[in-house]
Amino acid sequence: MLFEIENLYKIYGNHSVKTPALQGVSFKVAEGEFLSIMGPSGSGKSTLMHIMSLLDRPTQGKCKFEGKSIDDFDDDELARIRNKKMGFVFQSFNLLPKTSVFDNVRLPLVYTDFPKETQKEMVRQSLKSVGIFHRASHFPNQLSGGEQQKTAIARAIVNHPSVIFADEPTGNLDSKAGEQIMGIFQRLNDEGHTVILVTHERYTALMAKRMILLKDGKIVSDELVKSRRYAQDGLIK
Amino acid sequence: MKWNDSLNIAITSLKINKTRSFLTILGIVIGIASVIAVISVGEGAQTLILKQIMALGPNNVYIEPGPLDIQRTNMRGGEMAQQLMEGMGVKTLTLKDLEAIEKDPLVERVAPIVTMVSRVIYQNNDKRATIFGTTPAYNQIFNVQTILGSDFTDFDVQSRAKVAVLGYKISEDLFKEENPIGKTIRIKETNFKVIGVMEEQGGQSFLSFDEQIYVPITTAQEFLLGINYVQSSIAKIISQDKIEEAMETIRLILRERHNIYNPEGDLSKDDFKVISGKETAEMMSTITDILTLLLSSIAAIALVVGGIGIMNIMLVSVAERTKEIGLRKAVGARKKDILYQFLMESVVLTAIGGVIGILMGILFSYLLGIVMTMSLEIQWYYVISPSSIILALSVAAGIGIIFGIYPSRKAAELSPIEALRYE
Repeated sequence: MLFEIENLYKIYGNHSVKTPALQGVSFKVAEGEFLSIMGPSGSGKSTLMHIMSLLDRPTQGKCKFEGKSIDDFDDDELARIRNKKMGFVFQSFNLLPKTSVFDNVRLPLVYTDFPKETQKEMVRQSLKSVGIFHRASHFPNQLSGGEQQKTAIARAIVNHPSVIFADEPTGNLDSKAGEQIMGIFQRLNDEGHTVILVTHERYTALMAKRMILLKDGKIVSDELVKSRRYAQDGLIK
Repeated sequence: MKWNDSLNIAITSLKINKTRSFLTILGIVIGIASVIAVISVGEGAQTLILKQIMALGPNNVYIEPGPLDIQRTNMRGGEMAQQLMEGMGVKTLTLKDLEAIEKDPLVERVAPIVTMVSRVIYQNNDKRATIFGTTPAYNQIFNVQTILGSDFTDFDVQSRAKVAVLGYKISEDLFKEENPIGKTIRIKETNFKVIGVMEEQGGQSFLSFDEQIYVPITTAQEFLLGINYVQSSIAKIISQDKIEEAMETIRLILRERHNIYNPEGDLSKDDFKVISGKETAEMMSTITDILTLLLSSIAAIALVVGGIGIMNIMLVSVAERTKEIGLRKAVGARKKDILYQFLMESVVLTAIGGVIGILMGILFSYLLGIVMTMSLEIQWYYVISPSSIILALSVAAGIGIIFGIYPSRKAAELSPIEALRYE
């Protein structure tokens, strides 16, 4: 099992005012899944993703990644795991300004011990895989939204992670670019990557294989997507 | 993370905000340059003074009246200088004492000295000059020759002759084109016949020989000062390696003549002081050391202000790049990776500032040397010691680390989620 989530609670706030974000969430994720976590804003889906992606710790309950509880690691060890095994795609792309596409994609590798030449080769492969290689020396402000998100995906997969987290990846894109991005995720999943997608759009969530619906910090439903949508324009140009 | 990656990130980020980086670096440049320049001027002054003291004669020993202050037996150079001045009013040293000292085989010559500053009048000309009452030994010790006429003689000293020998410059000032020999000048209501003019010594001494007037010591004691003691004296020792021995001999002679029982050689019990040129040099270098330290501390304030500038700009940089920090942490940067990244940035800033500052400091010192040489008419010694450069560089690096560490730690401690959420 990639993830084993048991009775997870996350409560924000101090002694007097407590805001529960997650209230007893349990589920498992196997390798190779394409899971979408859906819910309205405030449902706790982002909090859940933060804990699963080792950026945050639960107040109570267990979160195991590859069989090991995250409680057993300190912050720097979690950073190592994120660096080696996880990829991140954000709604607002989060590319470094005034830094080339190539160097943006290389960012996670800066914190690894790979030799420089290996790093460059990994970056090239990753850029080719999302079809943005021809933009390698451009800067983010010279790219369209879709191209920026492709760069972000290239950055997420450059370290060959076992799981890719995507937090509202189509939120800042027009529908055509969004469709293309989702197509890339579907293809990456087909190639064996586990993808965990957080979204509030049912339309996007239906492109996953499995969908967890959250509301007020609790799982409302957890089921396989029966009529899975396939991105119409999944081909890379 | 490799250090050259940190360096690249730092340089890239500094390039993005060129103006800001430049202004921050400027603060460090000014600080470092002023420290270098001040230290250079201090060392130049020291070299100048020491060279002059040594030029006065490495074989010379100064015999002064008055005891070493008991409270200050462990005194340092600065206090010693003060005591030399105080010693002027003490009456314990006489010509007879010095005559006895001169008989010692280790002593070549002894020149007794009384001095005063007075108006000197020749016809309508009126100048202030330092009057030296001494013996022919004085100009022999310093090896100064007359260019006109001749120096006074031992006979002039014995007979209290009212004769004067002029320094080169005072002679020019008083007599212009006239030949001064045989003319009469007036010092303190007493007429002196000018019998000689000394050769020019050059304007590079703080004891300007050229502006002094020499008269027989007996004449000065009786007619100008009304005293019968000696204010100071200079003894020339036969060779440099005999100086310690000679100083001890002089002390023994004076103790015997002054009936001082002091077998243990406790200098505070004596009513005189015997000081070598070397000690005088040490005393003067203590004074310049203190001055240099004082001025450097003022310059160091500029450096601290520069450091605060670094800290300020680093805090701005951290705030601006909160999102970047969050992203870096999300993709695997550990705390120390972030810490090093920002620390590297501030160290690069100070290192650049340090190097430019050193170059500017060297340039300033050089220009200051030229200005000093021209305005003070002295041969200025331009000194840049490697130690001051090493000091400046380490101070710059230290400032980068000290003032960079707080912003860098702030960055390293940021929570990745909050940093990513930051807009």
